[in-house]
Amino acid sequence: MWQTIIIAPMTNLLLWIYDLLGHGPHSFGFAIILFTIVVRAITWPLNASQVKGAQAMQELQNDKEWQDIQKKYAKDREKLAQEQMRIYKVRGINPFASCLPTLIQFPIIIGLYQSITRALASTPLSMLQLARTVYPFQNVENLIPLNSHFLWMDLSRPESIVIFGFGLPTLAVIVALSTYVQSKLTMPASTNPNDQSAAMSGMMTIYMPLMLGWFALNFPSGISVYFIVSNALGILQYAATGRANWRNLLPGANKRLPAKK
Amino acid sequence: MNMKKLTLIILLAFSAIVLSACGSNGAALNNWPGLAADAARAYLAAGSFIYAVDLETGREVWRYPAESDSKHIYFATPVLTSDGQLLISSEGSNHAFTSVDPETGKENWIEPFAGAKGAWVASPLVLNETIYAPNTDGFVYVLDMKGAPSRAPIEIGGALWSAPTTDGTNIYVTSLDHQLHIIDPATEFQSDPIDLGGAAPSSPSVAADGVYVGSFASTIEYVQSSGRHEVVAEAANWIWGAPALKSGTLYYADLTGNVYSFDIEKRKQNWGGVKPDGPVVANLLIVGDHIYVATEAGTLVALDPESKVLWEKAVGGKIYTSPVAASDLILVAPYQAEFALAAYDAEGKQAWTFTPAK
Repeated sequence: MWQTIIIAPMTNLLLWIYDLLGHGPHSFGFAIILFTIVVRAITWPLNASQVKGAQAMQELQNDKEWQDIQKKYAKDREKLAQEQMRIYKVRGINPFASCLPTLIQFPIIIGLYQSITRALASTPLSMLQLARTVYPFQNVENLIPLNSHFLWMDLSRPESIVIFGFGLPTLAVIVALSTYVQSKLTMPASTNPNDQSAAMSGMMTIYMPLMLGWFALNFPSGISVYFIVSNALGILQYAATGRANWRNLLPGANKRLPAKK
Repeated sequence: MNMKKLTLIILLAFSAIVLSACGSNGAALNNWPGLAADAARAYLAAGSFIYAVDLETGREVWRYPAESDSKHIYFATPVLTSDGQLLISSEGSNHAFTSVDPETGKENWIEPFAGAKGAWVASPLVLNETIYAPNTDGFVYVLDMKGAPSRAPIEIGGALWSAPTTDGTNIYVTSLDHQLHIIDPATEFQSDPIDLGGAAPSSPSVAADGVYVGSFASTIEYVQSSGRHEVVAEAANWIWGAPALKSGTLYYADLTGNVYSFDIEKRKQNWGGVKPDGPVVANLLIVGDHIYVATEAGTLVALDPESKVLWEKAVGGKIYTSPVAASDLILVAPYQAEFALAAYDAEGKQAWTFTPAK
């Protein structure tokens, strides 16, 4: 099931783009970049709804009626939940809209990781699996072996640049930084000191860059290329909506705003 | 900590575990075992250890190393040398290339190969007291019999997955870059590489004045030592295993599961309609008048030269490792089976199975 609906289409798409690019040096890196653009284009509406959902939830946290019911039903969790649901319904807010695109990212990342390692086929067993994965229209005999070199990287291995005998994981740093920038840009300011959503966003801003940076450190650098391009496109997407919160990148920029009525 | 925070942390941790589980080390180092044998023992390269197994009893004699080490992962077929060494090479992260005593399993020497960028998938060739070790980084490393580099590595290009072959004069090296390279070991002269039309994952088979080599182009090429070459036979799918040559007949198989017999002199197919129960990745093995075919479906089939099925045995698991003949036994190392090694006699009767103790 996973193989049929995730790995096979992803692997074939990567191979198809690689073939289209002439399967020369650096082609697989560009194939991953184009693949990321395709994935971003497909998930564009979802990402847009994530931004919208996150904004709506944040605005709600600063809303007076919302804050009032928090205080009023602080000791009655059942009633509080009912009131919250009523407000969601009245204002047309889906509380899960901001989570879904993030959850969708994980199968894509796992699938992409497996597709990259399968396409690059570093062992006889993975080559055999690749042979079973490719669709009949692919001219795979000519494509194999894939050229895994892109710029200074071997996309099948974790990246580092050796300077004075030390391997510096430059891509892992870029992945962590770009993830941090993207998270900070999309995190609106909150006025509510008890704002759980803002607390979660703050936590995500710390954990996600660390986690993706760790992945970049340990996994084939092809995954890092995906992360960086995906983050860059995400930042562009937010910037295009005019909602990117550039001030958040500056230290001490989270000033509390007054509650809206 | 509230439930939302807890859920988020659990979700992130779970994602990390899922990705780690299919992480670079695990996937990159997953492969089928390598198998070799002498008159007394089988040598099985199966992950963390090399096992020496007594051919009489099927019991473990020794294992190397004594303790598993994630940097040492063994799948390449071990090679016995005429001066009594067992050469083993690791697909692990430190690219170790090691000589052990086949009697005791004690280490003779170990070459960490800081210069090799790739893993050791292929076995080495020993010729004139020199070790030629092909690496996935596209170089053949040249060592003396004590493991010291005796010359600069020979650059081939493309990942090298198969042991070089020699006709006694030249060395033939296949590469995943679709090419066969002919090297004169005395001068290190390389003639122009021969384009096979597809990746060649297995060794060439030596014939009179040249070699036969199969490839993912689904063809068998005959390549002369002069570099002249021609396609002599075809298959329905990729040819993975090395062709086997016996009495002027070439036997080979493909990934569809077809087994073929080709008359070299008459240049015609004797038969090609034999199709056991699964794709064939392993080399065909010829012992006497028996042609042994091991299939991905986990079956060992014995054919006679006229394509008649003499017997077939369900071994279990998937068989990708080439069967080996030793001491009147046929040894089979299935992948993902209940046991790591099984021995059959010429009539197909199972002599023993070997499962490594934990």
